[in-house]
Amino acid sequence: MAPRARKVRFRRFAWRSALGLAVIAIGAFCLYAYYLDRTVTQQFQGRRWTLPAQVYAAPLELYVGAPLPMSELVAELARLQYRAAPKLDRPGTYHRQDDRIDVALRATRFADEVRAAQVLTIVAGAHSIEALRDAAGQDIPILRLDPLLIGSIFPTHGEDRIVVTPAEVPVLLPEALKAVEDRKFDSHHGVDPEAVVRAMWVDLRSHQIAQGGSTLTQQLVKSYFLNSRQTMGRKVREALMAFALEAHFTKSDLMNAYINEIYLGQDGDRAVHGFGLASQFYFGKPLAEVDLSELSLLVALVRGPSFYDPRHHPERALARRNLVLKLMADLKVITPQDAANAASRPLGVTSRAAGAYYPSYLDFVRRTLRRDYPESDLTQEGLKIYTSLEPRAQDDAEQTLDRELARLEKSRAATSASLDGAVVITSPVSGDVIAIVGGRRIGYSGFNRALDAARPMGSVVKPFVYLTALETHRYNPASIVQDAPVDIRMSNGTHWRPLNFTRRTYGPVPLVCALAESLNQATVAVGMDIGVTHVAQTLQRFGLERAPAQVPALLLGAVNATPLEVAQLYTGLANGGYRMPLRAVRTVLSASGQPLKAFPLELTPIAQPDVVFEVDQMMQQVIERGTGRAARTILPRDVVVVGKSGTTQDLRDSWFAGFSGSHLAVVWVGYDDNRPTGFTGSAAALAIWSRVLASLGTTSWSAAMPDPLTEVAIDYWSGLQIEGTCANADTVRIAVPVSTQLAKKPGCIAAAAPSLSERLAERVRAIIHQ
Amino acid sequence: MMIRIALLFLFASLAACRSLLSPERPPQPAPEPASSATPAGAAPPAVSTPPTPTRQYRLGSAATALVAQAHSRAAAGDYPAATATLERALRIEPENPLAWIELGRVQLASGNSAQADHMGHKALGLASGDPNAQAAAWRLIADSLRVRGRNEEASSATAHADLLVPH
Repeated sequence: MAPRARKVRFRRFAWRSALGLAVIAIGAFCLYAYYLDRTVTQQFQGRRWTLPAQVYAAPLELYVGAPLPMSELVAELARLQYRAAPKLDRPGTYHRQDDRIDVALRATRFADEVRAAQVLTIVAGAHSIEALRDAAGQDIPILRLDPLLIGSIFPTHGEDRIVVTPAEVPVLLPEALKAVEDRKFDSHHGVDPEAVVRAMWVDLRSHQIAQGGSTLTQQLVKSYFLNSRQTMGRKVREALMAFALEAHFTKSDLMNAYINEIYLGQDGDRAVHGFGLASQFYFGKPLAEVDLSELSLLVALVRGPSFYDPRHHPERALARRNLVLKLMADLKVITPQDAANAASRPLGVTSRAAGAYYPSYLDFVRRTLRRDYPESDLTQEGLKIYTSLEPRAQDDAEQTLDRELARLEKSRAATSASLDGAVVITSPVSGDVIAIVGGRRIGYSGFNRALDAARPMGSVVKPFVYLTALETHRYNPASIVQDAPVDIRMSNGTHWRPLNFTRRTYGPVPLVCALAESLNQATVAVGMDIGVTHVAQTLQRFGLERAPAQVPALLLGAVNATPLEVAQLYTGLANGGYRMPLRAVRTVLSASGQPLKAFPLELTPIAQPDVVFEVDQMMQQVIERGTGRAARTILPRDVVVVGKSGTTQDLRDSWFAGFSGSHLAVVWVGYDDNRPTGFTGSAAALAIWSRVLASLGTTSWSAAMPDPLTEVAIDYWSGLQIEGTCANADTVRIAVPVSTQLAKKPGCIAAAAPSLSERLAERVRAIIHQ
Repeated sequence: MMIRIALLFLFASLAACRSLLSPERPPQPAPEPASSATPAGAAPPAVSTPPTPTRQYRLGSAATALVAQAHSRAAAGDYPAATATLERALRIEPENPLAWIELGRVQLASGNSAQADHMGHKALGLASGDPNAQAAAWRLIADSLRVRGRNEEASSATAHADLLVPH
């Protein structure tokens, strides 16, 4: 064969091969494109963002007579990010004039209904709400403010977002995004070749892939489908996918997806995605309510949420925000005047990130729901969780705990701030948990002492010893018990010889005095008489889940309980002998607003109301003259509260637990490593407890005395009944069963009934004076 | 005759004085046949005349509005929403037995008769001095017992109610 012919044949072969290869390559490319197209379309068609559950606080109830002064009303509106405005131009604003406040309420979803936006007029005085009217001036009997969004349950290292519909997006936002990120968004097919060439030129010159040049669609693809590695292959894929998306979906669809998808900030483990959450995260309000300067800041963040983080780099954020405003003005999206006005405004971000406020409480919410829902449902299904948290009570309790612990440390010249504590506040009548403080570091989601610090109860157990004694009907609050040295031989041959805290012995005292003075020896005498087993059973009846060790030391609180468990135990005492499960969660709704689960109020009778009343009244003396009397200097004079202090061995734990008519609070103070604190329950926990209760504006404990009881006056230290006037008597009034016979205190002068002539003379005088 | 008139006058004056001078004491509420946490029905009614009321519970306007809303929700069969609404009323007036009775009624309607029973007893404990509220609590207890087939105890609870406020 001639070399020429061979050459020709080779050339033909090469052409054919090349053609074949090209056909194969094109085919493969088409297949790949088809595959990408299918993938993108399918995934995007059925797109569902993983939606962490959103958690809401209890809404504030407004009605005539509600104990809500104007100052607190304004504080609550501020908490809900309502803004004072000269006129009510849109939801989320209010206008105050003296004792009257007009509020443009936002549309809100409650656990049980959806409320449309409406205008409300409230007249509030120094103590309470005096009138409530709608826009037409009609009186409204009752209305709730919006429930505060207190956080969300997002997966670890996971995305958090609040999805918004196009109707909830300010009209300027898409315009601003186009102006800054993608001017040809409305006309391109997913890729802007001009921008790509420009970006490649910059990349070539800088020898790296730096310039974005991405359209909004490409950014959406990158965030939604791809990882963040920047390679050439990935760039091609991104462009193909963007092209595919554009072919199948409308521009407005893609814009809304972008607004919900894009990453806009970081809060610890939590990645803030979408403008809906970003608006809450930076400004604490819904996206629909952001003004031009706030909107521009959010748009500014798209390019680098951490680089332009307004909380950490306010100068950079401000410069970038103003650049966004300038670009918008240049493109005539807004007027130069509006741009200048907005540019003159401060950044306006809230000091704390919304949703990170109450980690201790959210911890309890999460644990409650884990019993009913798998973790994935909580972090992905967009549940709405309505809780009993009262933000004001929670804020006050957090601050009180930290302030008082600091004061206590100062008083002992302790060097490090490691003395810690926990506070649980509930509403005893409903079982609602309204505040949980798991430690003194506010907003820190570490060790939750309120839920996890199981410590010896100490003397806060004593009311249950006395309740068990009263239930035998062999004791009444005036029964005399011996406070005498105790010596109990244990099964292992050792002896248990508990002493009183004062190391003194008091002899015969009435039960009320033994409890109020927290006498250990008298309590052990009573407890050993009625049996440790019965006391253990009482504790379990009142809600202690672990079976306590049935040893004599149980009578003095050798049983571990967390502050939350103590609150559960005391609920039965605060509630006339009914147990109620403590609950943080009231209702769970699905993403579409369907009720999924409710936690209704439940009552279980666990003790006779009369016996519980006797114990409560004895505990009143703890505050009036016993170990809790320091509370009287802090609480308003006329507010009746009951409670019990607790101190454990070597002053390791300081407890106080008790309640008023409307609140139950438990405070624990101690060190995490169980070192002695140097404080009794009366010294540390009581100081916090009484301040917490005082700040709540609580009401008196005023249970009606059950019929089988009658009130008598006795001498506090001797237990002798007092009739008339006695010298040297410390009179307390206590409830005892009607048939109770008490020894009378000698030497008292009976209060003589006035004679007929005296009464007649008095009556005549009264008539004359009329 | 004059003596008689004088005597009559003296008598009348004394009677007037007596009524003027006797110290005013609120009538004691009748002792409850059974204390409020004991199961109803064990003890027969121990009083024979309706007691004089010393107080009369009423719901405030906020709670009244909520009760009305709860009634319409319960009528529509939405018991969870009715319960949630009544819990709002209860948070406003926790010591009002009428709020507990309303909640108990919804519990009963939704098939939770044991809770209705407990709420009836809870209301009874709060209602001392108000025979109307006490009777309403006993009737709730009676109904909750009857639903569970405890007819004898139910009749006894009804008897308590009838004694307080004749039906």
